[in-house]
Amino acid sequence: MKSRISLLLFIMMAFLAITACSSDENSEGKAKDEKKEITIAIDQNFVTLDPHNAGDTVSIFGTRAMYEGLVGFDQNMEVIPVLAEDYEVSEDALEYTFKLREGVTFHDGEPFNAEAVQANFDRIMDEDQDLRAKRNFQYVDKMEVLGDYEVKFTLNQPFSAMLNKFAMVPFISPKAIKEDKDLGLNPVGTGPFQFNKWNQGDSLVVDKYADYWGEDATNVEKVVYKPVPENGSRAAMLKTGEADFVYPVPQQNVKDFENNDDVVIEKTPSTIARYVSINTFKEPFNDVKVRKAMNMAVNKEAYIDVVKNGYASILDSTMSSETQYYSKQEPYTFDVEEAKKLMKEAGYADGFEAEIWGNSSSETIQGMEFIKQQLAQIDIDVSIKSMEEGTLSDEIYTPETPEDAKVQMWYVSWSPSSGDADGATRSLFSSEYFPPNGANTAYFNNSDVDKWINAANETSVKEEQADIYSNIQSTVYDEAPWIFLATDTILSGHTKNLDGVYVLPDGSVSIKNATLK
Amino acid sequence: MWQYIVKRVIGLIPLILVVSFVIFMFIHLIPGDPARLIAGKEATIEEVQEIRVSLGLDKPIIEQYFVYLKDLLTGDLGYSIQSGAPVSELIGERIMPTLGLTFISIIWALVVGILIGVVSAVFRNKWPDHLGMVVAVSGISLPNFWVGLVLIQLFSVQLGWLPTGGADDWKSYLMPSFALGAGIMAMIARFMRSSLMETMKQDYIRTGRAKGLGGNAIVFGHALKNSLIPVVTIAGLQFGFLLGGSVVVETVFSFPGLGRLLIDSIQFRDYPVVQAEILLFSLQFILVNLLVDIVYSFLNPKIRYQ
Repeated sequence: MKSRISLLLFIMMAFLAITACSSDENSEGKAKDEKKEITIAIDQNFVTLDPHNAGDTVSIFGTRAMYEGLVGFDQNMEVIPVLAEDYEVSEDALEYTFKLREGVTFHDGEPFNAEAVQANFDRIMDEDQDLRAKRNFQYVDKMEVLGDYEVKFTLNQPFSAMLNKFAMVPFISPKAIKEDKDLGLNPVGTGPFQFNKWNQGDSLVVDKYADYWGEDATNVEKVVYKPVPENGSRAAMLKTGEADFVYPVPQQNVKDFENNDDVVIEKTPSTIARYVSINTFKEPFNDVKVRKAMNMAVNKEAYIDVVKNGYASILDSTMSSETQYYSKQEPYTFDVEEAKKLMKEAGYADGFEAEIWGNSSSETIQGMEFIKQQLAQIDIDVSIKSMEEGTLSDEIYTPETPEDAKVQMWYVSWSPSSGDADGATRSLFSSEYFPPNGANTAYFNNSDVDKWINAANETSVKEEQADIYSNIQSTVYDEAPWIFLATDTILSGHTKNLDGVYVLPDGSVSIKNATLK
Repeated sequence: MWQYIVKRVIGLIPLILVVSFVIFMFIHLIPGDPARLIAGKEATIEEVQEIRVSLGLDKPIIEQYFVYLKDLLTGDLGYSIQSGAPVSELIGERIMPTLGLTFISIIWALVVGILIGVVSAVFRNKWPDHLGMVVAVSGISLPNFWVGLVLIQLFSVQLGWLPTGGADDWKSYLMPSFALGAGIMAMIARFMRSSLMETMKQDYIRTGRAKGLGGNAIVFGHALKNSLIPVVTIAGLQFGFLLGGSVVVETVFSFPGLGRLLIDSIQFRDYPVVQAEILLFSLQFILVNLLVDIVYSFLNPKIRYQ
């Protein structure tokens, strides 16, 4: 008898619960629109909201909703003035003078002026704080206040990516800095949105800032960011309308959404370059003919179809087309016969055995299997070694010298942290940046390239910088220290009635123009 | 009884010391360098070294352990390497949702599991038994992340009744606790069934029948309580594993609990957070076992502790 009663009760409760939910959901959906609120589902948690200490992409774009720098990036990652009205770079590329915008206030009412810039600069350069933003100012010698609305930064050596680095440094209210509240939890900036609340691991909520200095580009009152790591769950949120914007949309779901009238899928080229680095220090990879043969043996179109589900484009330089000073090269054509000929000329007509390393994600493993199968065509017998990310990083960065390095091929990707050519070149191809000092895992060593990487910094003339980087790209591409594979396509999705939220090529989500129709 | 409990609790202290040592060594010996992960890919060796020093990771590992132990004994769990926030704060924010989730899971699993087990035993080899066991075997065999994804597809995408994730209100707890508890419910149902069937063969049950007691009075008045011991054992053990399961389920349902914090921290080699979490999980395992021992003596007064 007891069992029957409890069973009955259970069924009744379940029924009540289900009916209660369905009616709630509808009213919630309507209420959400009236309030002009949007939800953005992303794949990772925010780590910190301190804009001077954010290192991961998600924390960086989370803080960018509330913070601004002297300059910033537009939708194509070109540097544009933001809190500076105008800027000037001296001819020797050592002095950067910024004229600050007047009438800008922080979310706590404090004015933005030269004093505020000084307070931020002091915080960043404070050794005790050990903030990540300090790296952006590694070449900055000093900062001077020239007037209430004018500041000058002096560098100790020229640096071609300096403006991009300024774009990575947002400004915190000097009052908040002084009060020394935990800035990782209490953001106060000048951006179009201000902090509402952050439930760590669950959601970040920002509200529109009524006194924003700039153009009123959004009609959204409230934005909720929700980290949803599981691909299937994130895609489901776009289907159910729980999320208005989802990034990244899993590749396998794109086709599904393309038949859905309520959802729009956006494809943005990224700054992410995908490649296999080849250890040019080791035999037989020290022979450029072998490396060229490897490039010619891999069918990049097939790679994109098989591994990237078609959502990528061929990597036709040492950097993605979205990176500063990119210059297109002629890709290696897929030609197995020609590749075999090169192998024969190099003395490896019968091929050789080799090892490829990569992390343990399923896409990487699939990619490595593809490379293995392609290189088998020229009798290179590849064995795959897939490792968890931290272990892999140890294997790569522990050897102190090129002689000790065990890596032969590494299936990996690279995206410069601020979209600049220096970041896409120096630590990958300069001989000063062999591991453990940098990421030159091809152990690429070319004195011309070394010289050019430094020369690009010594001029402030953009055309000259472009020329130098173009030389670097053509020389490196020709030396084939990598198997050049693809540039990722960023996949994001939004509901039909949302506009103006977009993903930049570096993978950061911008909400400042968010508009609900 | 009370003496026994106090003794057991005191016995926890050396156990925690051993556990903390094992956890510390394991975590520090797995490859991967948090300093490099913090510094980022464009960092030079000097920058990485600087971070290593500031985190105290350049010291010998034994020395690091004693620093950790000293802090631990004074109740200081340290600061997260990744975010710089106090570990106690990070765990404090996540512990309630996870505890809520595991409790709801274990409670519905116990209620439904015992119910199915009893019905199956009473209607042995008839259709309710077969149905119950089909449910039980499915619960054990289906991986919880898969159950989770199917639930989302059905109740969120198709029917639109429940949110896909989060921990905003009670509705967000329904699917994750179902996915999390399904395996244990099944396990409990099977143990309940076999244990009850075993009990029903005992002499005192036959005596009960002989003196004319009805079916319900026999099952609920005499047999059930005596059959609960193996069920309590298995429920206690499984409760410990629930936290492990919550790592997967919390990821599927983007649930802001300890499981997801653990995944994120391990990937980043956030030593202080991982250490604190695993220590917490171990502690909870030990406490649940203590609780199980205590429940035994209530179920069977013959079991006495000294």
